[in-house]
Amino acid sequence: MIGLRKSIFAMLAPSLSLIALFILVPIALTIWLAFTKWSVQTPFSSATFIGFDNFREIFGSTSVGRDFKGAMINTALYSAMSIALILPLSVVFGMLIHQAELKGANILRTILFATYMVPMIAVALVFSKLYSPTEGPFNQMLAWIGIGPQPWLSSPDTALVSVVLLNVWQQVGYFTILIIAGLTQIPQSIYEAAKMDGARGPALFGFITLPLLKRTLLFSVVIALINAVQVFEPVALITQGGPVGSTNVLTYHIRRVGIERAQGGLGSAMSVTLLLALVVTVTAVFALARREERR
Amino acid sequence: MSARGRLPAGAAASTGWRAFLYLLMIAIAVASAFPLVWMVLSSLKTPAEAMQTPPVWLPATPSLDAYQKVNELIRVGRSFANSALIAGITTAGILVTSLMAGYAFAKYRFRYREVLFAITIATMFLPPIVTLIPLYRLVGSIGLNASLAGVILPNLANAFGIFLMRQFIAGMPDELLEAARLDGASEFRIVFQIVAPAVAPALAALALFAFVYHWNSYLWPLTVLQGNSDNYPIVISLSRLLSYNRSAVNTGLVMAGATLAVLPPLILFVFLQRFFVRTITASGVTGQ
Repeated sequence: MIGLRKSIFAMLAPSLSLIALFILVPIALTIWLAFTKWSVQTPFSSATFIGFDNFREIFGSTSVGRDFKGAMINTALYSAMSIALILPLSVVFGMLIHQAELKGANILRTILFATYMVPMIAVALVFSKLYSPTEGPFNQMLAWIGIGPQPWLSSPDTALVSVVLLNVWQQVGYFTILIIAGLTQIPQSIYEAAKMDGARGPALFGFITLPLLKRTLLFSVVIALINAVQVFEPVALITQGGPVGSTNVLTYHIRRVGIERAQGGLGSAMSVTLLLALVVTVTAVFALARREERR
Repeated sequence: MSARGRLPAGAAASTGWRAFLYLLMIAIAVASAFPLVWMVLSSLKTPAEAMQTPPVWLPATPSLDAYQKVNELIRVGRSFANSALIAGITTAGILVTSLMAGYAFAKYRFRYREVLFAITIATMFLPPIVTLIPLYRLVGSIGLNASLAGVILPNLANAFGIFLMRQFIAGMPDELLEAARLDGASEFRIVFQIVAPAVAPALAALALFAFVYHWNSYLWPLTVLQGNSDNYPIVISLSRLLSYNRSAVNTGLVMAGATLAVLPPLILFVFLQRFFVRTITASGVTGQ
């Protein structure tokens, strides 16, 4: 490999310099700016160091603190609900497509995955109409089975769940593909051996499928979490964080504070908090999975 | 997929169970396709039909009026061109940078390789909002705010592409590359004339991933373009239709706009989906 030194540099330089300049440098800047008072309309050099003031403010009892803590809770709820729905559904869908040996399973896979290609803006527009309390087809369909009309996006009690549902609709196909990828790794011979020993449906699922799918499930949880934190379009376009702050999620809130209101230091402190929360959550998920493994 | 008829007789016996599974499969397919079908049907309705309660499902006289109206309200052609430029150039950039870096990480041995790779992969899991605020200022300070270049430049390389390419290139035999070197081929020639064709299916999948992701991308273009509507991609132009979203009269209009934005990624998906599924299955992992 002597003489390849120049090649190594040439091959890596384009991508690594872009990643360094547009991802790593901004991460460092976010962390630094979190400790400063800075308007996003002014150069970085105008930021003045103020210690932990921004953090005190976003966790304080003023309206800034209340809004941020609300956004944290909304994002946590949104992520938890999304994962709680997407994971079981994608396992069921994946097994239905991969293991049940049904004709037309590939067609279902294609339809499911196609929703993942739809721009979120279109999903948001379509669902805002589907959810419409008066003319929307969802309430009409509920009426067919004797359920009264729901307020969907227009009530603080149901708005966040409604956004979760449209997110689940869009993403479940993608996670189904991940599960199918995991299922293909499980050797068929294990199932056959278990069947010889008299194992049936639920036992096969509980003792073979689920344990051998664990790495895929772990990966899916992490990706679903990272995706859930990014929810933006339906909130920015349809609910603007409302009603009464019930859909005010972090990506929307941080952008509003840091870019629209130009409070770059305050917004950066929120970004850093989000990053820390994510690192802690992901570490905890992995630690939990490892402890399970040892048992 | 496994061979048919390998299930023991006992399992195959329950016809009722299989009938249930088929019904379930159909129900899932219908639920999954319904919003998109409803979107297209609604885009063909007249304003009067869109207003009716209870809702009409099938337009009696399908018309394309709503599409014409969309074209009057937003510059559809211009927005499409912007989207195509953003997604096209970004995708081309990602393919080139990922191929080169993936090759280096897979086939060269050098100091700090593992560390560099780990740092690169870590960026894959970073939600964009974490860096949005300084990135906005950074791109502004090099004079690219409100321009298409500002939308494109920060996205020309990404960790997922590098990861995917490394996975697939690592599986190529070293002898092939050594033989090319002995023949006097330069490293760049090896990457683009020997490695690239060998990993073509993975490249196709990456192209689909990248194109769809950046066609659909909303947060960054919205932030960096700062209201310069000349450069709006279609997904952002569409949000202007939202002021018409308040009343049901304009449902057809809004759905026509949504249909227009959905078509290019879906068409691309139909052509490239076989590479897509195969690549995810083979690499075991995916992102973005």
